[in-house]
This record gives sequence, structure tokens and C-alpha cells, in this order.
Amino acid sequence: MNVFSVIFWSALTIGLYYAGKRFGRRFPAWWSSPLMTAPLLLIAIAVTFHVSYKEYISGTRWMITMLAPATVAFAIPIYEQRALIKKHWLLLLGGVVVGSVTAMVSSWFLAELLGLNDQLRLSLLPRSLSTPFALIVSGEIGGTPGLTAVFVIITGLFGATLGEILLKSLPLQSAIAKGSLFGMGAHAVGTAKAHSISSEIGAVSGLIMVLVGAVNVLAAPLIEAFLR
Amino acid sequence: MLRTGSVIFRRHCRTNVFTQIGLIMLFWLIGDAAAKATGVNIPGSIIGLFLIVALLATKKLSVRSVRLGARWFLGEMLLFFVPAVLVVLDHPELFGILGLKIFAVILLSTAVVMTATAVFVDLCSRYAERGMKYERF
Repeated sequence: MNVFSVIFWSALTIGLYYAGKRFGRRFPAWWSSPLMTAPLLLIAIAVTFHVSYKEYISGTRWMITMLAPATVAFAIPIYEQRALIKKHWLLLLGGVVVGSVTAMVSSWFLAELLGLNDQLRLSLLPRSLSTPFALIVSGEIGGTPGLTAVFVIITGLFGATLGEILLKSLPLQSAIAKGSLFGMGAHAVGTAKAHSISSEIGAVSGLIMVLVGAVNVLAAPLIEAFLR
Repeated sequence: MLRTGSVIFRRHCRTNVFTQIGLIMLFWLIGDAAAKATGVNIPGSIIGLFLIVALLATKKLSVRSVRLGARWFLGEMLLFFVPAVLVVLDHPELFGILGLKIFAVILLSTAVVMTATAVFVDLCSRYAERGMKYERF
């Protein structure tokens, strides 16, 4: 690891992120989120100057590591909404089971329909989980964790936006339904979006995300047995 | 003397966002160490999360000592996802027909999952609100 590359790529990434954040506030649209604009510019820069992923990530790996303490931080909204969660825990657990089964079945059949091979298909299955869980499940059911990581990112990136659109078109009344939509469909990125709508929806989304991950890791041996 | 020190430290914890960020990171490190030591298949961050919830619930930790730090982490979380997106540089095969197919699977499946989950939860919660007489089924 070279100090220059850490400082240069980190500063560039942070700078583009904050610029993207301001831009997104000025021109609110589905494509103007900093998670769309900043990576796009970084990819353009990397391709132009022939910088490999390995080189880029050696300078910015610490930022990905920060996703772990960010996950720990979900403890606080979950604790603050404990009354809501205590009241609806069975419903939330039901939503997680319905969502997880739907995720597996729909990914599997859509992949079959479009003729994707087994390796891709298995790597697609755990994609609606948050990254640390998804990598565990992917490895266990015979997918490729590296590919799964890509699919998790794509899911979060577009799922958060998709969730916002669905929220407007579905006649949902309860905050728990809105929160479970984001937490189930778009893990941490969806949860960040949910927090920007309301702290209640955000807390439910955060809890659902954690539950989905835990339930799926526990169910992975079962899923694997079923696939064989 | 020790008591005064601990009061000052506690007051410091409640107002300083950096101390709170550090505290949250400490819980992550503890969770990680616990996961490694026991060999369980649960990410250390999730163990840290439940540790904080448990300490908050038993009043061992004041929510004011972590709230600012948590708000910072949740507010800036998308920043930490940015470098992860660049992994597509290593997968040129995704920029093509195959990429489009995978993209279609992800988008459609995510839409189905979100709709099914949200509609299920919403219908059940409406049913529960309306049918209070079935509460003890």
C-alpha cells in the first residue's frame, strides 16, 4: 500500500462524493444521487488513465471497511423505535420470510428465463442481502462471492431508486410496510434512502435488513440442500 | 477524583461526535473479535449492533453517548459504498448483452420482492388493526 495512492484516491473519492451530494440537492432526480454520479466519474477517470480496480481499491479499501461500523450504527434507530418493533415483530418476521422466498424464487426463474448459467444464478440469489451476509451465503450455496458483491451493489444502487418509485405508486399505509420495502429490497442503500424519508421508516428498514441477513445465513445450508 | 473524571468524560461523550464515532467503531471491533473467537457465521458488525441495543435497553449505555455518531454514520454511509461500485472495472463482461440480462434480472426481481413484501406487511397490519377481536388467535 502506497501512501500517495491512499491520499490521492481517497481525496478524489470523498471530493467527488460531496460534490455529487451538492449536485443531487440542486438537481433532484433518480440519477443525481452521489452513489450514481461519483462512481461514474471515478470509472471515467480510471478508464481514461488506465487505472486498474486493484490500484484504485488499494487506496480506498478503508472506506469499504467503514461499512461495518456504519452497520453497527443501525443499533441506535432500532433502539429508538423499539416500541414500534415490539408491537409488530411477528409481522416484520413474516415480511422477511415472504421477501426472502420471493427474492430467491424470482431471481432463479428470471435467470433461467434469460438463460444465465448456474454460477451466475447462484451468485444472484443472495443479492438482496447486505454485503457481509451476502458473501457468506454466496460462498455457502456455491456461488462466486466476488460476483455477488457486484450484484449487491447494483441492487442497492437501483433498488433504492426503484423503492422510491414504488412507494409513490403502491397504496401503502403503514410505516412498517414502507420500511420493509426498502430493507428487504435494497439493504443498506435502501435504508439510507428510507432514513431520508423518515426516521421511523428508516429504523424499520434497518431492522429488516439485519433480520433478512441473519435469517438467510441461518437458512443457507437449507437452501443449499434444496438446490442439490 | 476518579468520579469527577468520569463525569467529565461522560459529558464529553454526549457532545463530541468524534468520540461517539470512535465508540461505535470500538463496538464493531469487539463484535469482530467475538465472531473470530467463537467462529460463528455472523458478521462482527451485527454482533456489535446487538451489543449496543442490549446495553441501551439495560440502561448501561446512554443513547445520548452514541446518537450523534450514529447520525453521522447513517448520513454519510453512501460515501463508503462509492469505492465498492468500481469493482465493475474488473468485470468487463458486465458491459454487454450479458450485463443487460443480469441487470434485467436484478431490476425485475427487486421490484417483485419490494412489492410482495410491502403489500404483505401492509395487508397484514391493516387486518390486525381492523380485526382486533382476533387478537388472541
